[in-house]
Amino acid sequence: MGNVDRVDITLPTNEMVFYVRRDRNLRSRWKHDRENLCREFGLSRPEIDALMGDPSPRTLMDLGVHQYLIPHILRLTYGETGMTNLHPALTAYQREFPQETSNAIGQSKWDITSKGDNGDG
Amino acid sequence: MAKITGVMASTHTPGLLGWFEDAPKDQQEAARKAFAEMRDYMAKCRANVMIIVSNDHLLNWPINNSPDYTVGIGSEHVGPADWYDSWLGQKEKYHVSGHPGLACHIVNASARLGVSMSYLREMQFDDGISVPTCWLNPDSEISLIPITLNCNIPPIPTSESAYKTGLVLHKVIEEYPGDDRVVLVGSGGLSHEPGGPRYFYIDDDFDRWFMGLIAEGDHEKILRECTLERMEEAGSGGTAELIAWILVMASTQGPAKILNYVKSYSWRCASGWVVWPNVR
Repeated sequence: MGNVDRVDITLPTNEMVFYVRRDRNLRSRWKHDRENLCREFGLSRPEIDALMGDPSPRTLMDLGVHQYLIPHILRLTYGETGMTNLHPALTAYQREFPQETSNAIGQSKWDITSKGDNGDG
Repeated sequence: MAKITGVMASTHTPGLLGWFEDAPKDQQEAARKAFAEMRDYMAKCRANVMIIVSNDHLLNWPINNSPDYTVGIGSEHVGPADWYDSWLGQKEKYHVSGHPGLACHIVNASARLGVSMSYLREMQFDDGISVPTCWLNPDSEISLIPITLNCNIPPIPTSESAYKTGLVLHKVIEEYPGDDRVVLVGSGGLSHEPGGPRYFYIDDDFDRWFMGLIAEGDHEKILRECTLERMEEAGSGGTAELIAWILVMASTQGPAKILNYVKSYSWRCASGWVVWPNVR
């Protein structure tokens, strides 16, 4: 199996994201009261730290967050619209997985790693 | 008795709705043309019910309780779910009638044949159901029965188990009283790794190999060679959505007709569209 096998099915973050996505009030609290929200769902300190500020896809994966939920965490954080390859959720992946990214879209109009952060090619 | 009159499959990358025009014009045109051919095929099938089989994407069930198969048994289906409105570029919700009679029959009759299917009276929909619904049933004229699969959380159903479920689904649909004409739609794949380290990766060698296999039409060979491990290599947590194609393929005989294939980095997924000329 591949990367998806790294998930910790019992990790509270994986439960929390399910409920936050589907509830307008919880989505609002994600923006304005994230740490308390995380505590209420029983997240550990390392989980909370990983979700504050600019969440790191690599750190979240290392903690056992399901890979499919990570873009949702980033959308909750940066905005849910317009998920082109230059959306902040995707540029976060470019920064954290440069080799994998370069193998796929290196030197393309989306590649921010070889052209600085303007990303417009 | 109800009859399955058509079987087809398509990818459901959210880019096909949400950022469609970010892709090059030739890719947009390929998608438009393929979906138009699928609509023509459906018209020839004179279908009044569309059963879409797709990944649940951890949307309807939390990770602590995620069944392999879930049937939407409601009398109406509304989508996309709020969280996906702007992501999928939808200004208005679609409202599609369900078919509670047939949907409940699928749940109950499948259970008697040893296949457990959970059900929900009200389901949420993301790209998995919304992309084929918006492209194939834009005027909501055809009733919808959504069936979602667990393609994300280990253990993921194998190709063989999905195929066996497809055989059961075929049997129970065609023993349902009435004159419903049903089209099956497999929704998902091709190679992609949503949210994984290889988020931008597309394995077109795998895709062309898989499309070649279904164009060849040897089901035993497909089950033998297109293993879960092989799909995971081609993109973890995304490519395995092809078990939705394999499930609906169980209602077919012989080769699929490939309508098109597009390798699109804009949509972060390879897209493919097929119909099967011969239903079992």
